[in-house]
Amino acid sequence: MTFAEVVAAIGGKMVVLTETADRKVRHVVGSDLMSDVLLVDEDDMMLLTSLASDQVLRTAQIVGATGVVIVNDKPVPDSMADVARELGLSLATSNLSKYEGCVAVYKALNGITT
Amino acid sequence: MEERPFAEKVPRSADLNEQPLVILELIQRLKVRDVMTTELLVAARHTTLREVQDIMKQIKISGVPVAENGRLYGLISIDDIIRALEGGYIDEPCQKHMSTKLVVLEDDMPLSFAISYFDRYRYGRFPVLDRNQRLVGIICQRDINRTLLVELTHELRRMEELTGGSSAPQDDYAGLYFFREFPVSKFDFENAGKAATTIKQLLQERSFPARLIRRVAVAAYELEMNMCVHSLGGVLTCQVSNGEVEIVARDTGPGIADVEWACRDGSSTANDWIRSLGFGAGLGLPNVKRVADHFEIRSQEGEGTRVRAVLVLASENKPKEESQGSGGG
Repeated sequence: MTFAEVVAAIGGKMVVLTETADRKVRHVVGSDLMSDVLLVDEDDMMLLTSLASDQVLRTAQIVGATGVVIVNDKPVPDSMADVARELGLSLATSNLSKYEGCVAVYKALNGITT
Repeated sequence: MEERPFAEKVPRSADLNEQPLVILELIQRLKVRDVMTTELLVAARHTTLREVQDIMKQIKISGVPVAENGRLYGLISIDDIIRALEGGYIDEPCQKHMSTKLVVLEDDMPLSFAISYFDRYRYGRFPVLDRNQRLVGIICQRDINRTLLVELTHELRRMEELTGGSSAPQDDYAGLYFFREFPVSKFDFENAGKAATTIKQLLQERSFPARLIRRVAVAAYELEMNMCVHSLGGVLTCQVSNGEVEIVARDTGPGIADVEWACRDGSSTANDWIRSLGFGAGLGLPNVKRVADHFEIRSQEGEGTRVRAVLVLASENKPKEESQGSGGG
């Protein structure tokens, strides 16, 4: 599943759509702690976080994430959308909590419908 | 002469900016200590000007530092000797006639800094001190010319090996060289992370192995954020040479009281505000150690901190086909 497909499957809303939205997602990381995200050694991962800051995107770009979903329906600052465009990184929002979001992504990636 | 603070940043002159890229990279990479003369003949304060004149004749130099036990007291130039001969005081001790307000360089400064000083002050030589303010060398323009010629010859040889008739394979990174320097300001979260992003892009453009790029980017990013969050500001550098990527973070303070503790997982002095931004969990330095092949940290409370992480290209596989979009890594 691509990042764009995962966002659609969990009922999320795309804020910045870039080429990374077409990349396959194989792992999901849910964290508000960027040093934890930097510890993750998986390619093709997407990040779910309730932190709406520029550094989230820079961290995601450093680890080569496919995209970032801001959970809890948090508003995305204009500056964050600008940074996402600058980095060429897809950015979406979701009204799910971080935990619910991770479960929803897991289900979507594994074809679980219940 | 006017005394100047050692750490003062001298803006590049227009001439420096117009240098070819290879020379610019060389003068950024080389330190003053790589160029300076370390075999010094020095005079003591009680040495007579005549004896200094003999030293000048003997080794054909036009300036002699006056120093005792590594401490620099002054400098006698050929002009001082001429004045002494004209004034009839050539047999007096140099202590009375030496220049004491000196412009000096530090051995850890980039060569570009020294070149700026020659451009700015028009002196023939500068004494070089180490971080403990001890005299360790002297540098003149001839030293710079000689070193640059040697380094340029090496650089040309490397380029020849890469471009023509060489048996070196295309994926041999041993001949690649580049150097970049990024200033990092305290609490400048708007720009924090840009240096690491740029370093990642530079390595991607040169088709470095994806896993190595990721490790370098993580090390650079953690060090950059550390400087932004904890230091008074500093400089992050990235140098690729001899098959290694070296990331160095050097700040101006306040230093770390217990380095061993700071390198342990979970050790942090960050406040709630920093934590609210997603940082300050005490994982930064351990994370840099994790991704680096060599890791060094030097710090003292009240002074600056220098962290060096080296990642060896040979420790990674050759570049592999990217199965993902161009933004990946």
